Amino acid sequence: MDRTERLLDLVALLLSEKHPVSWARLRELFKDDYGTGTPEACERKFERDKVELLELGVPLRFEKARGDVEGGYALDKDAYYLPEPGLSPDELAVLYAAGAAALASGAFPGAGDLAHALRKVAFHSERLPALPRVRFQAVGPVDTASLADRLDVLWGAVRARRRVTLEYFSPRSGEVTARAVDPYGLALRRGAWAFAGHCHLRGGVRTFLVHRVRRLEVLNPKAKPPDFEVPADFRLGDVIPRWPWEHRFHAPVDVDVALAPDLEPMAPQLFGVAPVKTSTGASVTVRASDLDALVTTVLSLAPAAKVTGPAEAVARAQALARRVLEAHGGAP
Amino acid sequence: MSAASERLRQLLFLVPYVSRHPGRSVDEVAAALGVGRVELLEALEFLPLVGRPPFEPDDFVDVYVEDDKVFVELDQRLHAPPRLTAAEGVALASAARLLGASASEALTSALEKLERVLPPSAREAFRQADRRLDVEGSALAGLPAVSMAIAERREVRFDYYAAGRGQTERRQVQPAELFGHQGQWYLSGFDVARGAERLYRVDRMGPLEVTDARFEPRPESAPARVPDRGLEPVTVVFSAARAPFVRERFGEARSLPDGRLEVTVPGDNARWLTGWVLSFGGDAQVVAPAWAVRSVGEAARASLG
Repeated sequence: MDRTERLLDLVALLLSEKHPVSWARLRELFKDDYGTGTPEACERKFERDKVELLELGVPLRFEKARGDVEGGYALDKDAYYLPEPGLSPDELAVLYAAGAAALASGAFPGAGDLAHALRKVAFHSERLPALPRVRFQAVGPVDTASLADRLDVLWGAVRARRRVTLEYFSPRSGEVTARAVDPYGLALRRGAWAFAGHCHLRGGVRTFLVHRVRRLEVLNPKAKPPDFEVPADFRLGDVIPRWPWEHRFHAPVDVDVALAPDLEPMAPQLFGVAPVKTSTGASVTVRASDLDALVTTVLSLAPAAKVTGPAEAVARAQALARRVLEAHGGAP
Repeated sequence: MSAASERLRQLLFLVPYVSRHPGRSVDEVAAALGVGRVELLEALEFLPLVGRPPFEPDDFVDVYVEDDKVFVELDQRLHAPPRLTAAEGVALASAARLLGASASEALTSALEKLERVLPPSAREAFRQADRRLDVEGSALAGLPAVSMAIAERREVRFDYYAAGRGQTERRQVQPAELFGHQGQWYLSGFDVARGAERLYRVDRMGPLEVTDARFEPRPESAPARVPDRGLEPVTVVFSAARAPFVRERFGEARSLPDGRLEVTVPGDNARWLTGWVLSFGGDAQVVAPAWAVRSVGEAARASLG
């Protein structure tokens, strides 16, 4: 019997049974599949089927004998059937918009799971919400299909805690290094996919951009126990910063930035901090461990944003502005 | 997930879907399942083989197509799909965060409801995996509201900060598309006062007001891209130190003999250009045309004032 057919038959059987179905009866009912060959081989076959069903969200379990009821395999119907999630039209619409944007990007970790999830949340709805045109392109010099492949492998490795081996290109040195990495998690930053994990070459936690990975393999895809544990205090946000000026190039400096009144409402989305009102507009204090990244961001908003302190940050902002001026025909 | 598992996952959805929505057309059902028509018809031919032992006539799934519509007579208790798996839950939650779930009431409440429909046994796995995928760093507060306004075809109003001018301008826009490009979110739409298509960076938009004014979508124009309206292109040269990083983001870049990198960008928007060149702090130099060189020089001088 075709394996898909057997698994569906098994689900249909267990959904219709009130009591657990004993192994002996399963062997009898599925004679060609579980009833022929050595008992060990039959059990192994059933175990593999069980694992696959569990992965698909079928809550199959063994129940011990109780009173007159024989022990056997059963399916918890309440845990199986998807209930009506009770989403309002707005909630469903915005979930759909988000899911569609992620799928349209062509490279999103767990894209296959996402497509199924969207189908399931809309299962009880008579009509699907209108889809807004939202799309998203990940940054990187690689084509979407290979980015999607790498994300798939990495996301699988993150979830199953599998060590990966990879070749990594550094634009700074122009070199490719071979590494073994225990991937702890994936993050999307400024349109680029990154991952963090323990790098066995460097002996510590490092972050990598997915588009700089040249070759990628899971070291032991079939090994039973996971290859590593993620340290309990590990937080993705600590190692893959949200803002470019949070990369750790030096000790953090609190930089004051004056904003024209018009920029005040946008301060949280531009700098990630709330503004303070001043007599001439507003200001923000931003903690930077990569001063140049902050200063150039402020420069791109000139003249409505300006670095006002401390002195070293002001000097750096002026030096960079002079460089731009000199490069564009102006005497500083 | 193997192809066989994927097929099984589809079939566990297909039978309940037809049972819940009888009489939908073959194409509708195929679209709902995310497969082609041929693939769906193959699945529908396979399903009558499925049943439960002892496989009496009434023990099989009875699904059929009549007048190009799909019906199921006997669903063998496959009347609802399995609940979300932990992986499906995480994928959906992450997508919601891509659009800024934490800033949107509708998304936050949707995610809470979502967690409740996970089977209890999957909730811990969901929470664990959810901590391992972080997309919120790219989200902006305005995204859910903008995307809903696009879907509902409502005009939106917002203050827009146009780089170079140093002040915001009030805009009323018929929003057409929201898209993420080179790490920034952009909204393309029809600016009502200016009577023209415009492109806005979402992080430079003030709080969004969704109005009651509805609009009819305009005839499909060329898909909006980051500034490109066919005007004189601008040539920018990047320093040798910056070149390898710039090369990662620009497909069509030319290496110069001294290690620098030359890139051509559309030149339709001086204000966008100056802000962008300034953001490289001297590692980017506009070499042509003259107006663009002057414009960047003036902006740099203004920032020193």
